[in-house]
Amino acid sequence: MKAGTNAAALIRQVLAGEVWPALADRHAYRVGPDGQPFVLPGMGGVTLGVHCGDPATGYASDHLEPGASIRHREPGANMALQFLTCVGNEVRVQSGPAAGATGHVIGQHAYVLADFTDADQAGLAPGDQVTVLACGQGLELTGHAAIRVKNLAPDLLAAMPGGTRPDGRLEVHVAARIPAEAIGAGAGMVSEYANTDLMGAYAGLGEDLSLGLEGLRVGDIVALADSDHRYGRGYRPGYLTIGVISTGQCMLFGHGPGPSTLMSGPAESFHLVDDSDANLSSWLHEPGVTS
Amino acid sequence: MTADPMSAELAAVAVGLTGFAEHPVLGDSPYRVSRDGEPYVPAGDGGIVLGLRLGDPVLGVAGDHAAPGACLVHPDPAARLALATYACIGNRVQVRTGPAAGAAGAVAGKRGEAGRVITVFAPEDLARLRPGDAVAVRACGQGWRPPGFPAPVAVMNIDPGLLAALPVQVSGDTVTAGVRLSVPSQLAGNGIGRPAAGWDLDLQLDPAAAAGLLLGDLVAVTGVDARWNMGYRRDWVTVGVIVHGGSPMPGHGPGITPILTGPATALRAVPDGAQHAGLTEAALKIS
Repeated sequence: MKAGTNAAALIRQVLAGEVWPALADRHAYRVGPDGQPFVLPGMGGVTLGVHCGDPATGYASDHLEPGASIRHREPGANMALQFLTCVGNEVRVQSGPAAGATGHVIGQHAYVLADFTDADQAGLAPGDQVTVLACGQGLELTGHAAIRVKNLAPDLLAAMPGGTRPDGRLEVHVAARIPAEAIGAGAGMVSEYANTDLMGAYAGLGEDLSLGLEGLRVGDIVALADSDHRYGRGYRPGYLTIGVISTGQCMLFGHGPGPSTLMSGPAESFHLVDDSDANLSSWLHEPGVTS
Repeated sequence: MTADPMSAELAAVAVGLTGFAEHPVLGDSPYRVSRDGEPYVPAGDGGIVLGLRLGDPVLGVAGDHAAPGACLVHPDPAARLALATYACIGNRVQVRTGPAAGAAGAVAGKRGEAGRVITVFAPEDLARLRPGDAVAVRACGQGWRPPGFPAPVAVMNIDPGLLAALPVQVSGDTVTAGVRLSVPSQLAGNGIGRPAAGWDLDLQLDPAAAAGLLLGDLVAVTGVDARWNMGYRRDWVTVGVIVHGGSPMPGHGPGITPILTGPATALRAVPDGAQHAGLTEAALKIS
């Protein structure tokens, strides 16, 4: 049975953002796991051709951010945009050739990340204004008091399989299970902002770097073992965090494809079902199809 | 084709830098949130902390990332990062302004993100130091390799004159470091994915694991490669000095400034238990 929620009590808020440019410094190069210098695109701007359901890795990219990367120009308003926007929220383009197009939030990464169809994204550029209908922070699951929900739109939760089991646990379908060794940059940060990079997913590099995570896809729902993200992001044996892969390929060492946090609580409060269809593309928008 | 300049035994360069004793900074709310969801007021997160010294327990005070002595920063963000990158453990420092002018101390560690250099002084000198006082740092150590050091093991963040005072031995192709404890990579928290030349690596130790851990102890983290950014690599070892105490924040804890990193075949970390002596005031010639 679907888990009961307080969705009816949540408020919706209209937020403004702007497609943000890619940023670099004049030294250009960063350093990979084996000391290799690299210059690769991925963060900021509008990244074309990679959508929910597509492989997260295998691109000549660093911190690949699928779709449009969005911020607000004013620092305080930007933090509100980053904290209040939830995965699954609708994003509408307000200005530029793609005005009127709608997409969905797939995660946060110090930018709000919004996936649109390639046709719509072809008309998007940094500087374009977007409107985010933010809803989800404060979402609670009836009868699952030990689990904290964050960054998750109630509409998306309703579309996801699983729910309250007869034994009282919350059933969640996941496409991959992530060991604690994989947790990279993002540990120690708040869980309403940016995401948790996963190491061990460096496709094409050494075996000593692999934790078997090269098969992750953008939009995959994943379970992070021994991770407590209720009040920030930390290692805690016996806890579990559910996230959604919102960024892809990385070359920077200690970084990798990253889940944005959706839920966290004691592991015994969850019942995981391994399900390769547990991906945002199953519920939000199919690759290449107008959402 | 020349050899890899990073593995060559070139002469170390010393650079005179200036840091300023830090004043702690808080936002509009005094509260942070602990790993158990409890709001708390962070005390000792940067600035000048009295009464906490190398050799004290990491969980001995009700602080957040409290470090022994004075943290140095710089008002220019790029200069602050340079200060935290080039200063090395064991570097000599001298107070230049204020009531403590002339007092000599040493670098005991570094902290990441915006960058902090942790300096220790004799208690009577530290008591006269005030936020904003200028402190000269004789930065030396980055790029230095001890003569004859096994090539696979990288050395960083350590003054060339200090390594011999730490429990680090070289025998043939192997470096052996005596450590208080060795922990697996999944305990590595804030700092992972960041450059080891300027960031510390917080260890998410539970109270039992941290019970015998002292400020200045050497600790090994297995499965972490810290040659550039810090990240997961199987069969690798990183050894660092504990430079600050614990934190209630999730993902944080006592932090190490890395000094050695290499494959487990070339860098052995041996827990030496109660006999362990890491970085001490005596080694830093602080009286």
